[in-house]
Amino acid sequence: MTARVIDGKAFAANVRAQVAAHVARLKEEQGLTPGLAVVLVGEDPASQVYVRNKGTQTVEAGMASFEHKLPADTSEADLLALVARLNADPKVHGILVQLPLPAHLNSELIINTIDPAKDVDGFHISNVGLLGTGQKSMVPCTPLGCLMMLRDHHGKLAGLNAVVVGRSNIVGKPMAQLLLGDSCTVTIAHSRTKDLAEVCRRADILVAAVGRPEMITGDMVKPGATVIDVGINRIERDGKARLVGDVHYESAAAVAGAITPVPGGVGPMTIACLLANTLTACCRANGLPEPEGLTA
Amino acid sequence: MTATLIDGKAIAARMRADVRADAEALAAAGWVPKLISISVGDVAAAELYVRNQHRQAEAAGVAFESRNYPETISLEQLTGVIAGLNADPRVNGIIIQRPLPGHIPVKALQKAVHPLKDVEGMHPASIGNIVYNDLTLGPCTAVAAVEILKTLPLKMEGLDVCVIGHSEIVGKPIAFLMMGLGATVTVCHHMTRQVALHSRAADAVFVAVGKPGLVTGAMLKPGAALIDIGINRTADGRVVGDADFDSCAQVAGWITPVPGGVGPVTVAILMKNAVLATRMQMDHYRAAFAAAV
Repeated sequence: MTARVIDGKAFAANVRAQVAAHVARLKEEQGLTPGLAVVLVGEDPASQVYVRNKGTQTVEAGMASFEHKLPADTSEADLLALVARLNADPKVHGILVQLPLPAHLNSELIINTIDPAKDVDGFHISNVGLLGTGQKSMVPCTPLGCLMMLRDHHGKLAGLNAVVVGRSNIVGKPMAQLLLGDSCTVTIAHSRTKDLAEVCRRADILVAAVGRPEMITGDMVKPGATVIDVGINRIERDGKARLVGDVHYESAAAVAGAITPVPGGVGPMTIACLLANTLTACCRANGLPEPEGLTA
Repeated sequence: MTATLIDGKAIAARMRADVRADAEALAAAGWVPKLISISVGDVAAAELYVRNQHRQAEAAGVAFESRNYPETISLEQLTGVIAGLNADPRVNGIIIQRPLPGHIPVKALQKAVHPLKDVEGMHPASIGNIVYNDLTLGPCTAVAAVEILKTLPLKMEGLDVCVIGHSEIVGKPIAFLMMGLGATVTVCHHMTRQVALHSRAADAVFVAVGKPGLVTGAMLKPGAALIDIGINRTADGRVVGDADFDSCAQVAGWITPVPGGVGPVTVAILMKNAVLATRMQMDHYRAAFAAAV
């Protein structure tokens, strides 16, 4: 048996199209344009690429993009003042401060200064707690994207055994919360787990988010399981640079029922969900119903 | 019976002695820890709890004031009261007693309490801190259950833990607290297909569902620790937990009784939170207003 390949690119394009259609409706019926402000401090090359992509896709979805590029030596007070201005700006519905920030800036303080209702990354401590208590929150983009793909593939997730490998704040932990919210029985495994293979083999849904190239192999996958690979690792093989996930694709695909490839799986969903979150934030801020199928 | 009985009362007494020493040190610095309990409407349901908290507070050197507001009070008036308490430097912790009348959503009040005065650990920011593995003020019952497990001679790192019940104030915070300690945690609930499959694989089982007899000895791994958080009243007026005590005690290595297990420790944690909150407020005050001293 070979697994069905979940095409993240196509899925993300579909999410973006849904967002764009909703945005067009908002403009026409309410005269509203959702706006996303992205703040970049310094000149980290990877961050510059991300920010550029986010800006392009925001505009393509019909939303307003506000880019704030600040020099690497920006003071904490200046950055906090900018965040406060964006919090107060009614045209801005989503605020994203691109991480990592230069070392002299306190990331935690800056993220927690963003209005939780505009925190489209879902990293504000109140959003983390709201998600943890099953209340409406802004949900981190990558796990939200995984959840959308899982719901699409399975329909209902209730009662399925889900194993999340990795307990990071941005993927593993919120992923576990979301799966619990959809009534999965959830196990969170990590580097201290005694028998990882045994735990993984119990999973109907296996989410790998550890950042270790190809550590989940086919023998750790239950036949027919859905495997979501969040890892993006740059390795060198046969003298060539390659991108691989946390899952050993060939061996896992031979056993799994469905699997996301790397690249082209979870990756493209992250920005699509950022746009979805911005739209959701705009709807909530204006007391309008939330966009269906685009929230947790 | 083979299981060792866990004496919650003794654990609570040890905690209270530590809390009392902390409270006295704070009092000497001019910061007597003070809790305000807020209840609304008919108090009969909560009265027993409030009286118990009051007694324990006195034993721990924490001042305690109980306020009851009429059933007719509006949400706006109550959040106004809380805003006043948030601003009052003589008040260090606010307890919202449940049940509340239907027109007062408990989450709205919990959110209104300043996170530094959130001794019940119910503010979203408090829960968020637990998820991010930065325990300051945690929900008392969940913290109590985990503290009890920590008294046992078990290594938390790599421990296989099964949490039965995924409530927001008990099951889920326990899962995140245990994960922070390095355990591999599985959370089961009413939609779980075979709870026994997960519970039998666990070195420690927490149960917090509110169904007497839910966990039986056959569902446990021999020698496992069982922490029973359920409090249920039977038809003949007895108080029992969620575990079938007799069969579980045959198989488990350690077991908490109900009553006398998690309950007393929960109140001790509330007092511990009271002194923690007071200390944080004192530090915050000094950092903000007395930097030069």
